[in-house]
Amino acid sequence: MIDKNILRSGAKRLLVLFGISLAAVWLVSEVAFGLQREKHDRPPQHVNLVIPAGTFERVEAGQPAPSIPEEMIFVLGDTLVVKNEDSVDHQLGPVWVPAGSQASLVLEQPGKYAYSCSFQPNRYLGLDVRKATTWVTRATALGLATPALAFFLFVYSLVLRPIQPKAVSDQHSE
Amino acid sequence: MRYRSVLLFGLAIIAGLAAVLAYQELGQSYTFKGSMIEPPLPAEDFTLYDQQNEPFRLIDQRGEVVLIFFGYTHCPDVCPLTLADFKQIKAELGAEAGRVNFVFITVDPERDTPDRLAEHMANFDPAIIALTGDRVELETVWKAYGVYAAKAEAASASGYLVDHTTRVYAIDANGDLRMTYAFGTESEAIAQDVAHLLAEKPSQQ
Repeated sequence: MIDKNILRSGAKRLLVLFGISLAAVWLVSEVAFGLQREKHDRPPQHVNLVIPAGTFERVEAGQPAPSIPEEMIFVLGDTLVVKNEDSVDHQLGPVWVPAGSQASLVLEQPGKYAYSCSFQPNRYLGLDVRKATTWVTRATALGLATPALAFFLFVYSLVLRPIQPKAVSDQHSE
Repeated sequence: MRYRSVLLFGLAIIAGLAAVLAYQELGQSYTFKGSMIEPPLPAEDFTLYDQQNEPFRLIDQRGEVVLIFFGYTHCPDVCPLTLADFKQIKAELGAEAGRVNFVFITVDPERDTPDRLAEHMANFDPAIIALTGDRVELETVWKAYGVYAAKAEAASASGYLVDHTTRVYAIDANGDLRMTYAFGTESEAIAQDVAHLLAEKPSQQ
């Protein structure tokens, strides 16, 4: 039978080490996140694009079209909103926008997509939908790493400094 | 006693968090998977002829959802896949599919006669409404729906090919053009959207 005092001391030590582990993992995670943070590490949002009037004529005449990059990076859950102010329908990747109208698409599948585009010079548009590193991702990492580190430190601490029965019980046995 | 209080407190926190998450999950409105037209536009009406040579008028379909695809029966890739998707969407909708019109409009009127359309639809689902007409009528419909259709130079074993728009259009029970789907959109996603369109209350018009 294990001494109650030993159990209590062990639980106390484990709790303290859990707290230390939580702080350490959080610190390392946040520093890593800060160092490796990318533009797409943000919550989902509305991404608005406007196709100005006269775009069709400009593209037909070989003039520069609206400045939309050939590769567009989105975060999973972003809503792509395209407003077509032109007098003809336009296609922007998966979004077809009738003339003078607006269309939107919620990007729910991560991946790289190649689509046709009615107003890019090469008629090509690439969409890259990525999973963002949000607080949920970081919290998940924290939840997974903290117990493991706490357990490791606890075992290590037992090697370095085993939990001794309290002096009271020693005196009692004398 | 103290441990019991701590345990109850912990359980209360967990239950509270679970309730908040459940509320957030349930409170979220449905997100349509298609590209939504905002605000919805009245779908351009047209009259064409189906595989039984019967006239089909779009406006007569009010009260039901209409899915439209523009293609041709000699198409080697996109069209058969989309027709197979129509069949799949119909299966996923179950009994609700009776309130959905699956419409195929040809971009190749010279070869897609009513007989040819009937024969081709039988390979997928004879209930798919396959429409044709004369080129002038069809060109008006293509233009209204922003459809590109042009004979390609490259020939296939079955003759020439036709380059064409591959999107699917969803028209709601009010006759409004609500959504389009790029080729490759999963049939399950389209079926979910259609189910939500069917669940909407039609506006009084």
